[in-house]
Amino acid sequence: MKASRTSSSKTPIGRGRSAVWQARLVLLVMINLAQLWILSAVVDAALAREFRHLGPLIVASGVCWLIALTIFLWWKPAGARRSGSA
Amino acid sequence: MSSELSSAIKNVLSDEADVRIATAAYQAEFPYERDEEAQVTRREFCGFLFLTSSALFLGAAAFSAKAAYDAKAEARFAPAAINGADAMQPGSAINFHYPTDDESAILVRAKDGSYAAFGQKCTHLSCPVHYSKQNDRLECPCHEGGFDAKTGEVLYGPPPRPLDKINIELRSGQVFAIGREVRGNES
Repeated sequence: MKASRTSSSKTPIGRGRSAVWQARLVLLVMINLAQLWILSAVVDAALAREFRHLGPLIVASGVCWLIALTIFLWWKPAGARRSGSA
Repeated sequence: MSSELSSAIKNVLSDEADVRIATAAYQAEFPYERDEEAQVTRREFCGFLFLTSSALFLGAAAFSAKAAYDAKAEARFAPAAINGADAMQPGSAINFHYPTDDESAILVRAKDGSYAAFGQKCTHLSCPVHYSKQNDRLECPCHEGGFDAKTGEVLYGPPPRPLDKINIELRSGQVFAIGREVRGNES
């Protein structure tokens, strides 16, 4: 495992794949942060009984989840897609 | 010499060169396998992040649904006499528990002799409010919120909605709490 990681990061393809994985990771972290913010806004709105805000917040959280799903399932390096493994 | 150099180069190029080594005494208490730790790949971590995203979405949806359901469900509470209310002087307040023993409330007798009762939790962050005789209003000491002593409406500060109102009734000279009304910005 160690050998494969070292060798894959040496080649341009390996570096490209590594960058794609890194980008996925960063995007997912950012989406999680956005969803945390949305959750806190939901709690705030519910405690204030401002129910008209809840719908848009849930939709926003759902959109974030869909983006995360897309990144998780389909956002893969081109080589990995061709070969069927990342 | 050349072997030392080659091992140094190998360490620099290795992924694992900066891995801390479990040599400290306390680490004997928390042994961990470096090999297992290395098996948490970026792919797995992405999986964890996706699961976290799902949990946050479900949490937000569930919290909203619960809040909306609780707001629609009408709670009915049994009437309860408020002890000591009849002996109150105008411009004073007493605490009591309603509708359950865990929920404190405050009964205010205004300077004109009228009664009003409210849940004691500030609607900002649930600190207990108290009656300020000097200012004739209910005040929250935590974040300086103020409420009208007769209506419970927000006068100033961060609270987003009025205090929960305890409906009261005078029955043969005794004050009874007969229900609780949660007020807010419903729409």
